Amino acid sequence: MIEVKNLKTKYSYGDEFSVASALFENGRISGVIGKNGSGKSTLLKTLAGQRKYEGRILINQKECSEYSSMERAREVAFLPQSVKNLNMDVRTLVEHGRYPYHGNFRRMGEEDEKKVNRALELTHMKSFEKRDLYELSGGERQLAYLSMIIAQDSSMILMDEPTTYMDRIHQDEFFSILRILVKEGKGIVMVCHDIEQCFAYCDKIFLMEDRKLEYAGTPDVFTQNEQIIRRNFGIAMKKSEDEESVYPFVMKK
Amino acid sequence: MKKIIKWYILPLGILILSLVAALFAGSKSISVKDIIKVLSGGGSAFQKVIIFQVRIPRIIATASTGAALSVSGYLIQNNLNNTLASPGILGINNGAGLFVLLFACLFPYHYAGKCFAAFIGALLVTTAICILASVTGMSKTSIVLSGVAFSALCLSVIDIIISLKPETVADRVAFQIGGFNALNINSVKFAVPFIIIILIASLIMAPSLDILMLGDDVAGGLGLNIKFYRAAHILFAALLSGAAVSMCGIIGFMGLIVPNVVRLFYRGNSRGGIFLCMVIGASFLTLCDLLGRSLVYPYELPCGLFLSLIGAPFLVWMLIKKRKRLGMA
Repeated sequence: MIEVKNLKTKYSYGDEFSVASALFENGRISGVIGKNGSGKSTLLKTLAGQRKYEGRILINQKECSEYSSMERAREVAFLPQSVKNLNMDVRTLVEHGRYPYHGNFRRMGEEDEKKVNRALELTHMKSFEKRDLYELSGGERQLAYLSMIIAQDSSMILMDEPTTYMDRIHQDEFFSILRILVKEGKGIVMVCHDIEQCFAYCDKIFLMEDRKLEYAGTPDVFTQNEQIIRRNFGIAMKKSEDEESVYPFVMKK
Repeated sequence: MKKIIKWYILPLGILILSLVAALFAGSKSISVKDIIKVLSGGGSAFQKVIIFQVRIPRIIATASTGAALSVSGYLIQNNLNNTLASPGILGINNGAGLFVLLFACLFPYHYAGKCFAAFIGALLVTTAICILASVTGMSKTSIVLSGVAFSALCLSVIDIIISLKPETVADRVAFQIGGFNALNINSVKFAVPFIIIILIASLIMAPSLDILMLGDDVAGGLGLNIKFYRAAHILFAALLSGAAVSMCGIIGFMGLIVPNVVRLFYRGNSRGGIFLCMVIGASFLTLCDLLGRSLVYPYELPCGLFLSLIGAPFLVWMLIKKRKRLGMA
């Protein structure tokens, strides 16, 4: 669980980013939406302890800045928007997810191997484990990095537009993996690009506006106050009446 | 098991073979039998001097210089995700060169001191780069740019000194070709233990290098203290090349070629990569030095020349043969 109160952080060019209060719970998928440049990525990076901040970020009841970086990585995993294409096989990458536990000095133990295998099986990447990252497609590479984050076994997982390079089938698979993780009690916070998808899969939606977190609520709340979404995206959302539609909420003019 | 033979036993075998070859070959030919006799405590006084005060120190120096420069290049390249980076790019060589020159101006007859000066120069330039880079944000680009800036600064001061005091030039030229013909035993005693300690330290810290390669955002998410480890690896690289430069002058190509060759056939983690750089770098430089002192006997060619002469075509050949992406550029 991550609890945010009066959070402020400054950009190098002087603008301020702020969140009055927010709660990202375990057992839920929290979706962060907003226009380009509204501060979605900054929010994630700050929650992951990658930026200096004022105010409070409580990760499982303890202040974020009081964690050592390794301790924090055991509580919060972070997958940034762009990931590297390296000369490295998939299994080695996933094993790096165990770094917060063994650091520089300990070898991979039985427990570590178990977590790595489980992560690879969950993402269906087991058959790819010997393949090099640069031999994979963009979507597969994203799944490889997701496996690393799963192997990290933290209670919260933060992801910045993780489905960008995935086709529809991979995206559906991706969200079903997230559902399994959430059922196990992990909390997921992800920046979403596709609003229909976000409304379909996220339990709670957070809307960023002008580098402030302004609104939070279930998808239903946002369909009832449609001007909030309209103001930011030029469309509104409504419950789908068509039984054959893919998503439960659809865009309307 | 196959892995152990391929990545550990085979490279170590090559290293041992080249060390033995370097021990048996030299301008004064001593028979294999005599050498074994000397090593087991017998032999004439003359043979003892040749073996213990000329050949063995030289083999130790070439092997540790080769290992140090290769690992230095590997650390820098992986750290900056740039396969073209090397101690030369970061201005470490020029820093060492500048201090040697300054020292030669002030104390022209003090040989051992010059080695020490090279060492200090490498360290100072690196410290300056790290301070500048941390002020500007410690990103990969700012490290490279600070390095280029300091490199240019050192070079211009070198040129000023040469213009004002041309008599120091001869020294500088000898120093910058890089070779072991004027090896000073005091600098070996000073540099080699140092190199060994840093090599062990970088082997221990290798996992953090793997994590750094994933990029700053991912590395931060995995709990790595990015600034600390980046600074530590760069410092190790500087100390290694400073120590190497203090023994043999500037052998620039080593730090570029060996890591790239290793990367072409080895895809495992950094600890293995550092180990292979160490072993292959040590054997390669020892063999180059052996060629340099036996091929045009009684003259001697600096091993730096052979290194480029063999190394450059070899690297090109491997690049063509593999033809696949280097993975990080």
